[in-house]
Amino acid sequence: MDGERRVHPDCINASNPYHECVEYCFKKIAEAKAKLEKQGLVEAVSGQSRESLADKRIEEASSEEEEEDEEDNQEPQVDVTKLTGRKKKLFELKLKMNEARKSNQTDVGSEKKKMEAPTEPKGISKQKWVEARQKKIGKILDANGLDMSKAYMLDTQEAAETKYKKWEKEPTPSGWDVFNQKTLYNAYKKRTKNIQVDIEEYNRMRAADPEFYREASSLQYGKAPKISKDKIDKMAKELHDREEKRQEFSRRRKFREEKDIDSINDRNEHFNKKIERAFGKYTLEIKNNLERGTALPD
Amino acid sequence: MSSFPINQLVSAQWYALYDFHILWVFQKQQQKKDKNTKVSVCEKESKLPRPTRVKNKSPEAVQITAEQLLREARERQEPEVLPSEHSITDSTELSDYRLRRRKEFEDRVSRGGRSDVQVWVNYARWEESQKDYARARSVWERALKDHHRNHALWVKYAESEMKNKFVNSARHVWDRAVYLLPRVDLLWYKYSHMEEMLGNIAGARQIFERWMNWSPDQQGWLSFAKFELRYNETERARSIYERFFLCHPKASSFIRYAEFEVKCGEVSRARDVYERAMEKLEGGYEEAEMLYLAFAEFEQGCNEFQRARVIYKFALDHIPIGRAEELYTRFIAFEKQHGDKQGIEDAIVGRRRTL
Repeated sequence: MDGERRVHPDCINASNPYHECVEYCFKKIAEAKAKLEKQGLVEAVSGQSRESLADKRIEEASSEEEEEDEEDNQEPQVDVTKLTGRKKKLFELKLKMNEARKSNQTDVGSEKKKMEAPTEPKGISKQKWVEARQKKIGKILDANGLDMSKAYMLDTQEAAETKYKKWEKEPTPSGWDVFNQKTLYNAYKKRTKNIQVDIEEYNRMRAADPEFYREASSLQYGKAPKISKDKIDKMAKELHDREEKRQEFSRRRKFREEKDIDSINDRNEHFNKKIERAFGKYTLEIKNNLERGTALPD
Repeated sequence: MSSFPINQLVSAQWYALYDFHILWVFQKQQQKKDKNTKVSVCEKESKLPRPTRVKNKSPEAVQITAEQLLREARERQEPEVLPSEHSITDSTELSDYRLRRRKEFEDRVSRGGRSDVQVWVNYARWEESQKDYARARSVWERALKDHHRNHALWVKYAESEMKNKFVNSARHVWDRAVYLLPRVDLLWYKYSHMEEMLGNIAGARQIFERWMNWSPDQQGWLSFAKFELRYNETERARSIYERFFLCHPKASSFIRYAEFEVKCGEVSRARDVYERAMEKLEGGYEEAEMLYLAFAEFEQGCNEFQRARVIYKFALDHIPIGRAEELYTRFIAFEKQHGDKQGIEDAIVGRRRTL
């Protein structure tokens, strides 16, 4: 057992009588040697981000433990400073492959989500969810010895900031109030933001017209001034743009084949959608009870 | 609703019962036909539905579910019958098509057009798509005869004229709209915007002047001022602001005027505005508070801390204690930022005294 064993004297597992050094061990040995050299080096070798990361680690924590932990957690990492030429290229390629694999997986997952029907919200109604959440919060508060009135203390700073923002924001008007004074004014401001002001032409017109600053009752009103064709075209184009923007206001939802059919017709389906929108949240409990067959005792 | 079983309805024995029912109905009909047959008592008894002979009342092994019914119904839907695509190849065909469509539209309009503006709009838009602008105009005018108070209809009419580049017609329409519905701001906004887009700035100015004669809301005045500022006419903008607060003598208008002056960089003028506002104060205490706050903030912005302090103290003296919450908080914050220890203590003590 002793004589034939292939054990490098510098290997950390050398004391283990059953250990035989493999490629991994040699890599580790090389790393350890490089580390000892690196501690003298503070300047980073330019190039790969991994290298700079490694350097940051050197700069931040000169303790060896951190480095060892980082490196031991992952697969046998290559010693970046020792890569040359083709090995460097190989390493870069491996990085790219990993990245590509990861992004592929995330894309596949998100596509799958998009194609399938959305998970049916049948299950818990909003009220139940709110109650469950309150209970949870209550438990945590009790654990910390707080009252329900101090529930805000559980918020993180970011959550609190988003809450303040929401409070300060005025609620958007809805229903009959959508075209109130303020919103009309804002719409007008937005529309006039893109007007191109031609100051020279303005000055020219001012010089040419004696009644440039006219009163409301001026008789110049009836006189239609000569307007160049491109101005008219611009106006028409702006109107067309506005119309297109209006079309985009409500987007068309994707048609999803439902696993659960509750209509006999397309019109029926449309009607069911409308009904669901209006009454869905109130009838969710009832629906669930019917599906189950019995009502839950609550 | 998926697996909701329909129990005994579809079991075989129910069919049997159904058969009996049919038989009974048939008998009844036969008897009605022979009028001479007297209906004796014993026959009457036999007219009653027979006692059911269903022996097995348990549900069938295989039940049909509601979901299955729905799916089957869906599958058996025949596709909608649409009229076949027909391309027009001839002028006679075209005129036939137009005649047909016009007839449809006229029917629709006469049937339900009293209350539905959209039918008119569709008709007019179709005529425009056929490039028959004279007819389109007549349709619009007919629509307006019934719905002259509908500002959306006016807007649609004018915008259709604008889209087809009939500028003078559009002007005419806007003029009428604005004459009939002067209190609808939307029309004024769009009319002035059109003139501005066409480069007719003097015309746009005249329209704004006309609008201001109606003393519109705050936003109207502000849009006029913005319009002037777009062409760097600061003097005119100033005069507009003057007229603005003559029309709306409120603290908010003063504050806006002062903000405008500050934006122009005319700090001394802004101060004048505030001082005038202080003199002219007629509003209640809330307005006064707003005004004082804005003035003090302005002075803070100009780094005139002594003046700001004086303003705060003046305000606190003049406003009854209950209403001055905001003032107090701001004053304390101000003192904390710029005051000395004595000042801060005074402020806080003063606040505590009121609470």
